[in-house]
Amino acid sequence: MKWNDIKAVLRLIGILLVAEGVLMGFCLVPAVHFADGTVAAISICTAVTLAFGGVLWACFRRYRRIGDRRMAYLLVVLLWLTLTVFATLPLLFTGATHSITRAFFEAMSGLTSTGATVFSDVEGLPASVLLWRSMMQWFGGFGIVLLVVALSSRLGINKYALYTAEASGADNSGRRVVSTVVAVRRTLAVYLIATAVFIALLWASGMQMWDAVNLTFTNISSGGFSVNGDSIASVTHLQQYILAVAMLLSGVNFTLLYLIFTFRWRQIGHKIEQFGFYLALYILSVAFVVGSLHWHSGIGWSDAVRLGTVQTISALTTTGSVVADTTLWWTPVCFLLLMLSVCGGMAGSTSGGLKIMRVLILLRNVRGILYNRLHPNAVMPIRLNGNVVSGHIRSNVMVIFMVFGLTLLLGVMLLMLCGVNATEAIGASVGCLTGYGPGLGASGGFGSYAAFPSVALWLCSVLMLMGRLECMTVLVLLLPRFWRRG
Amino acid sequence: MNYRLVARLTGMLLLLLAAAMLLPVAVSLHFHDGALPGLIFSGCVMAAVGLLLRSVVGRGASLELHERESYWITASVWIVVPLIGALPYLLTGSLSDITDAVFESVSGFTTTGSSVVPDPARLPQGLLVWRSMTQWIGGLGLILFVVALQRRLRGSTLALYGAEFSGTQQRRLHPKIATSVTRLWGIYLGTTIVLIVLLALAGNGIVDSFCLALSTVSTGGFMTSAGGLDGYSGLTLGLITLFMFLSGVGVALLYNFFTFHWRRLRRNDEFIVYAAVYVIAVAACAVSFGLNGNGLGVSVTYSLFHVASTVSTCGFYATGPSQWPFAASVVTFLLILSGAMAGSTGGGIKLRRLMTLALYLRNYFTRMLHPNAVFTIRIDRQVVPSDYVHKIFGFVFLYILFIIFGAFALTLCGSGIADAFCLAAANISNLGPSPLINTMGANLEYALLPEGAKWTLMVLMLAGRLEIFALLAIVTPAYWKKR
Repeated sequence: MKWNDIKAVLRLIGILLVAEGVLMGFCLVPAVHFADGTVAAISICTAVTLAFGGVLWACFRRYRRIGDRRMAYLLVVLLWLTLTVFATLPLLFTGATHSITRAFFEAMSGLTSTGATVFSDVEGLPASVLLWRSMMQWFGGFGIVLLVVALSSRLGINKYALYTAEASGADNSGRRVVSTVVAVRRTLAVYLIATAVFIALLWASGMQMWDAVNLTFTNISSGGFSVNGDSIASVTHLQQYILAVAMLLSGVNFTLLYLIFTFRWRQIGHKIEQFGFYLALYILSVAFVVGSLHWHSGIGWSDAVRLGTVQTISALTTTGSVVADTTLWWTPVCFLLLMLSVCGGMAGSTSGGLKIMRVLILLRNVRGILYNRLHPNAVMPIRLNGNVVSGHIRSNVMVIFMVFGLTLLLGVMLLMLCGVNATEAIGASVGCLTGYGPGLGASGGFGSYAAFPSVALWLCSVLMLMGRLECMTVLVLLLPRFWRRG
Repeated sequence: MNYRLVARLTGMLLLLLAAAMLLPVAVSLHFHDGALPGLIFSGCVMAAVGLLLRSVVGRGASLELHERESYWITASVWIVVPLIGALPYLLTGSLSDITDAVFESVSGFTTTGSSVVPDPARLPQGLLVWRSMTQWIGGLGLILFVVALQRRLRGSTLALYGAEFSGTQQRRLHPKIATSVTRLWGIYLGTTIVLIVLLALAGNGIVDSFCLALSTVSTGGFMTSAGGLDGYSGLTLGLITLFMFLSGVGVALLYNFFTFHWRRLRRNDEFIVYAAVYVIAVAACAVSFGLNGNGLGVSVTYSLFHVASTVSTCGFYATGPSQWPFAASVVTFLLILSGAMAGSTGGGIKLRRLMTLALYLRNYFTRMLHPNAVFTIRIDRQVVPSDYVHKIFGFVFLYILFIIFGAFALTLCGSGIADAFCLAAANISNLGPSPLINTMGANLEYALLPEGAKWTLMVLMLAGRLEIFALLAIVTPAYWKKR
């Protein structure tokens, strides 16, 4: 690892800290408007973050190139950790919580757009903190997409590295047809416009501006924090449907969104296969959830359709907004929602989980094997959208699936060792690793992770980080070989 | 499709089962346990159906075997035999419910050992013997019986052989499949007889010794009394521990062991990993028992027994230490998934596959740092082709998918989510009863599960025993496409 690389990493961290500081500054608006007494605290946090970031940026502004691939992995993890540490400041300084563990958990949950919260009484928090929580998710959700776009080509590494260091891999959007700057600009434009549109829609449907801003921020980023104790259960039905659309978009590949918004539908053609599978999975799940809500829980059709649709979208896109106390729902429904969050949204979106694309490749692999058993000499390439999936991507997908599963299993086991009961351990492990948020039992539904012991909270934070960065990026840092010279 | 051949082979197997029925009948005759008419009658039904299939339906079948037939044979044998094998439970009146009887039978033939019998000690002796024999027959594989019986089969017998007996294609005992199968049966039978004699010498009743030995060697896990193995002497438990460990070793490898080719044992990577996993798991369990306030002796001996029972997916349990720590549960759960060595009678994913994946993972991480490096995976000094690795990945993916779907079906039948996962994992890996399940609490008595849950578990057991692909192959559209 060369000293110059480290400087370049510090520069990038500096830039993002400045961005974070600017967003933090926006929290002054509700602090002043609602006079919640946090103006001083927020100002200090903003100043500290801006100062830190500014100094780093200024000092190392000339180091633009990262030559070493190892630095790419280090950068991604370091970046997320630094941003999280600074994101805890507003939570601690405003007195929202006095525990570093809790603040770190909340900040990690925000920046990874997970949506698991340790605050059992959200409505008692100062307005500035509430906005900061929403901001973190909005920032984190966009950040991950940005990272994919920016890092992959900036590093000048081949496609293979791109799929690992970035977050939402395995997509054939890996073929760069436009320059990084243009891609970043497009992504940012799509994100900003979508945010503005949904704020306007919610506001037009009669929601308070405050709620509209916060809920849009958390749902468009597939985050799931809320300013209300009952998540999105108390907003009107129309608003729930609007939010559901926002969530749905958060699970769609950004390039695809860009193409849709710019009416270049013809170019969508080659991505349609993934979309079809996504749609089929979604329709089947909604049918099951709605059916069981109606027949098993005895909820009327219109309510069952609304609750089922919105909650299924929330799970499949790993958003984690909750429309009703899901802990009271039939066990298979809770189970299905958890498993859907493991599938996750599309690659290249803000959602977490395994990603639909990977699930599709895994299923295709199985189909090929079954065919091979009958025709042992047949060569079975996996095709996706008409292109043959290369061996590298195939093994990449399988390895990520394995590591994802193992992490999930270990997460459950370790949480149980911390004294969390089995069901809640499964819920929390899935909820945190996939970025869904709510788990089962006390942490599910409108509940929170407040009752979890400190060790378990740290463990969940690690799971969230690993889930967001797709495990491999974090795990590769643990290899002795990584730190060896040469 | 050569249906005649399928019928013929299935019929032969049924005739063999009818012949095997003679032993329970003899036992029943000796003990006057009242099960005699039921056993004789079910034996006659087996013989009649077998004769019908073999000599009427399957008359003049060509002995030419294709891939398609071998999958069809596997599926038909594994569905017909457990169904007919349920007759003795019903006809002796020991289990009145059809679901229960079939469950017990499937659980036996797949060497799972999940039992719906509330107190096995009260079963008639003859039926007890039949129950343990089902495991023994299923242990090495029903298909292997067929291959051994019908030695003139031509064509892809290898596919037949591989359908239920994983990882053995690489190292057959003899170039001729029929000969290797005979050797496998020899070693299996020999081990069983040795254990029966040893158990009898250790002071157990002859029926007890017989049943326990068959359960142990086949890694089935049916026990002869309700309280697990609590009532037995330390020597008995020690013997069972040793033989459970040996059963987890592949049968083919045991052949080398008994023929004094010990160098092959030392050169077998999987065996070394198996032994290492065993030692480490025992140490971890013993430490966690010790930390929970159990004495050193109890901790170590119980860990030895319990880990052997889990890793071989046998499923015996004894009450042991009063405190069952979570750490031990964690170890147990991981062992359930890993299972024993490929080619053994145990279930689970199998260590050979996991080793391959672990090595692949290691290479993958290294390649993240050095993208142009080229690696190979070597096991037993042989390169594992990447195609094979993809197959293993596919298998593990399906395995996990089956556990998830199984658990989902179980929650539909009213289980809690955590319980559902435990039940699904324990049954797809053919473990059956386990201290883990007993300490997870809640209603995990198999007898108390609803009907739907029992059928779900049966599917899981079969899927686990046939290693999924053999079962799935016949439901793919490609299988039914006309050539």
